Amino acid sequence: MSEYISNPEEAKELLPRYRLFYVAIAMTFFSFLFRLWYLQIIEGSELREFSDKNRIKQIKNTAPRGLMLDREGKVLVENRPGFEAILTPQFVDEIDDVAEVLAPILGIEKDKLVAKFQRSQRQNGPYAPVHMKDNLSRDEVFRLKRIRLDTPGLEIRETVLRSYPLKGDGAQLFGYVGEISKKQIPLYNQLYKGITFDQGDIIGKSGLEEYLEREIRGEDGMQLVQVDAYGRETATQTPNIYGEQIKDKESVPGYTAVLTIDKTMQEAAYNSFTHDGRIGGVIAMKSNGEVLAWVSTPGYDPNEFAAGITPQTWSTLVNDKFKPLRNKVIQDYFSPGSTFKPYMAVAALSEKVITPTTIINCPGSIHFGKRDFHDSVKGGHGNITVFEAIERSSNIFFYKMGIALGVDKMYAYISQFGIGQKTGIELPRENAGLMPNSAWKKQALGEDWQPGENLTAAIGQGFVVATPIQMAVGYNTIGNGGKVVRPFVIKKIVDNDGKTVRETQPLIVRDLTQVQSTGIHVDPETFKVVKDAMRRVVQGPRGTAKRVNIPGADIAGKTGTTQVMGFAASDIYTLCEKRPLEQRHHGWFVAFAPAENPEIAVAALAEHSCHGASGAGPVVHDIMKAYFEKYHPEMIADYLKKERAIKAAAGPVENIEGE
Amino acid sequence: MDLRIRVEERTILKRIDWNLVLFIFALNIVGLFNLYSATHGPHSQDIQGLFLNQIIWLGAGWSLFFIFTFVDYSIVSRVAYILYFLNLGAVLFVMFFGAVALGAQRWIDLGFMRYQPSETMKLAMIMVFAKTMAHKRTDQGGMGIRDLLWPVILMGIPFVLIVKQPDLGTALLIAAISGSVILFMKVKRWILAVVVISGLVAAPIAWNYALRDYQKARIQNFISPTNDPRGSGYNSIQSKIAVGSGRFFGKGFRKGTQSQLEFLPERHTDFIYSVLSEEFGLVGSSLVLALFCWLFLIMVRIATTSRDKFGAVLTVGVLSYIFWHMFINVGMVIGLLPIVGVPLPLLSYGGSSMLTTMTGLGLVSSVAYRRYIF
Repeated sequence: MSEYISNPEEAKELLPRYRLFYVAIAMTFFSFLFRLWYLQIIEGSELREFSDKNRIKQIKNTAPRGLMLDREGKVLVENRPGFEAILTPQFVDEIDDVAEVLAPILGIEKDKLVAKFQRSQRQNGPYAPVHMKDNLSRDEVFRLKRIRLDTPGLEIRETVLRSYPLKGDGAQLFGYVGEISKKQIPLYNQLYKGITFDQGDIIGKSGLEEYLEREIRGEDGMQLVQVDAYGRETATQTPNIYGEQIKDKESVPGYTAVLTIDKTMQEAAYNSFTHDGRIGGVIAMKSNGEVLAWVSTPGYDPNEFAAGITPQTWSTLVNDKFKPLRNKVIQDYFSPGSTFKPYMAVAALSEKVITPTTIINCPGSIHFGKRDFHDSVKGGHGNITVFEAIERSSNIFFYKMGIALGVDKMYAYISQFGIGQKTGIELPRENAGLMPNSAWKKQALGEDWQPGENLTAAIGQGFVVATPIQMAVGYNTIGNGGKVVRPFVIKKIVDNDGKTVRETQPLIVRDLTQVQSTGIHVDPETFKVVKDAMRRVVQGPRGTAKRVNIPGADIAGKTGTTQVMGFAASDIYTLCEKRPLEQRHHGWFVAFAPAENPEIAVAALAEHSCHGASGAGPVVHDIMKAYFEKYHPEMIADYLKKERAIKAAAGPVENIEGE
Repeated sequence: MDLRIRVEERTILKRIDWNLVLFIFALNIVGLFNLYSATHGPHSQDIQGLFLNQIIWLGAGWSLFFIFTFVDYSIVSRVAYILYFLNLGAVLFVMFFGAVALGAQRWIDLGFMRYQPSETMKLAMIMVFAKTMAHKRTDQGGMGIRDLLWPVILMGIPFVLIVKQPDLGTALLIAAISGSVILFMKVKRWILAVVVISGLVAAPIAWNYALRDYQKARIQNFISPTNDPRGSGYNSIQSKIAVGSGRFFGKGFRKGTQSQLEFLPERHTDFIYSVLSEEFGLVGSSLVLALFCWLFLIMVRIATTSRDKFGAVLTVGVLSYIFWHMFINVGMVIGLLPIVGVPLPLLSYGGSSMLTTMTGLGLVSSVAYRRYIF
């Protein structure tokens, strides 16, 4: 017991050792003090900034995109409010757990949510917010709000959703919007100087939405909020560090695009086209180039893109063999077939191969080179002038014109109607089609032009291909006596104060009554002859498209049928309707009206519809009817009266429908 | 008779080292203010109650402090081995039946508190060390192999057990505290040289075979925290941001955004010093650093005036205990050391830490109380 008590002498021997502690304490104090001084004074400002960056989050207020209106101010494309669920990856601890909670609320399988989250992380980097679901329902919003605080990283954001009230109607024209991809960000930032594109931004992906990006986009606003480590907005005693220096910026809506489209006609065209489940494209254009209606079918619903398209829907669209995403009016080209014949007639008359009264013998077939060329009518048409040749669509007549003219003369005339050239419509990815000549064939294929090819070219087959919009422009040229116009669909862009930012003026590209670069010109009388012949197609006793006729509207036009594939000689006369759908002929009908002084030109292509008159004709008929009903009811008053009478006679049910 | 009593009373109050009490109390008060801030953020409802708990721990801690002050510390030498082996038993118990947290088995749930035997083990170590060291002859160039054998065994057993938990931080602390005491008692120079050299040789071997992945990651992150700023380097980066962003005067009480908005992990325990540095800047953080160092100096002075060797070694042990905790904790918070789960004595929230620290300081106070020789 006593060994430890009161033995200070023993303890004294330890005294020199305490130096160790003095040294250690002093060194610790000064090195720590130096480190604190370094962090808090030298690096203090920088680290203060870091701490502010931690807690201050910039939230982008996406500007509503501009509206698209028709020529009378009716809404074609608009916006509607919506909510979206967003996950911020750095605040998400375990995506499996979060997905488990979200799955029943969003109605999406857990695995799919996880996959979506991980895909976004791969594609857009680990910090980009992930859109889990757009276009949330009211119920979903309430349920998400309830789990919000227990789910770090989850956010419910108000959004503006793009809305297309016409749905599939004109979908390819108006286009659709979607989130910018990581690859597109640098491209767009370079393309659109002055606008910054970021992850998560919505951009126009096709059609006018894409073309009008700059004008329609608007300016995004900015909001600064304080968040905690889990991404939750949090108020504390410390105010916004930026104080008064940077205020929240309101977003500025995009400009409004007033289109040349007439909603009534657009709807008429679409209804007519889809009524029979037709595939193809149709465009209606005023004679000065203003596009009134533009339909490509099958369509798709752009609203589905606006709300975030599912991979299944996307792959269905991409894999559809009738290509709903393509704008067939400008992107797809087809052999013009017999709709080519009026151009041939113009060329033959101008070159004096024939006069309006020249009679040509047209048997059922002719022998040229080593093979026989057949007419579509077995016995042929006998002795006919150019009027009957167009009215009844004689192949033999135009074979003979082809032989007489040769491809280079054909090219000299017909290329000037715009075949083989882009029309200059505003939309991107227009196809130029092709009007061949011998030089082209030599250059492109390294072969000489064969005389037999003059015959196929003469009836719009072989190398000749054209888009529906080119055909509308070409026929419009015949109708108005030689003026090639540039079609356009954007009438004007109006800013938020109602001021017009830019306006498209009609443009006459060429006047064929003047001498052109290919050395040709066309006499106004020639156009009159061809127009008269085209009138007979619709109004004549043996016209191929009498069903299109609207008495009083004075429609002039031409049918066309183009083979999708070659058939054996024995198979040529097999009834088209008996073939499988994809082997059936395409039907064309192109027309303008009133023939005397045309106001409107319509070109319709109905794929696999077998015949021009029955396949594409009704669409043109319905568009023409909608046009005259609206703009010139006096001209077709008798016709309308008669139509009403027929409907009234048919019974009360139809009567109600008719009204 | 009356006179004698008065003298007794006066001496009791006079004998207590009020400097020691004052500095401990000052750190307690700073700690409470700081803990209030750390536990009352906008989303801290879950840890708000810990503030009141800490006040209870403090009350208990001060009770222990004064109990040990008035009890003659020589009693400790009698119970040292009993406490040591009881504690060792508790450490073993934890290894097999303890609650698992963060992949390690560390505590026993007593209902009213989570008892962490490895925490009290440090104090038991100090006691047995004081007992065995106190009568070692330390002249003739210091302790030799034979002198060191028993202390090294005493240290080695809990060290290995706690490494196995695994709780590398606590194990290293035990080694550091024991090492400090041994070093204080003087060791033969050649032994020191052998230890240093074998340490250098053992380090790479330990790296490859003994350390767990998360332990390696901490060290790697200390060397380059920006490797993985959202992952394991996150704590270190956020702590440095918190400390630095406090600048000279700090952001103000309860206005530290790093702590209030929860960017700081473990802000009420291991990173309590970051909270302080952020809200009170260089002024506050250096003041607390100075309080600690002054407390150490007071303890050194108490050791030098100890009535016997046992008291001196005991005091030196407690001093090492608080010093190393402070050194590792603050060093890690300000980015000078890797991230290890070590609390800051008197400031961090935690019952085991608070009670152990106050008991230790009570022993020191007891040594001080008996410094006068009659």
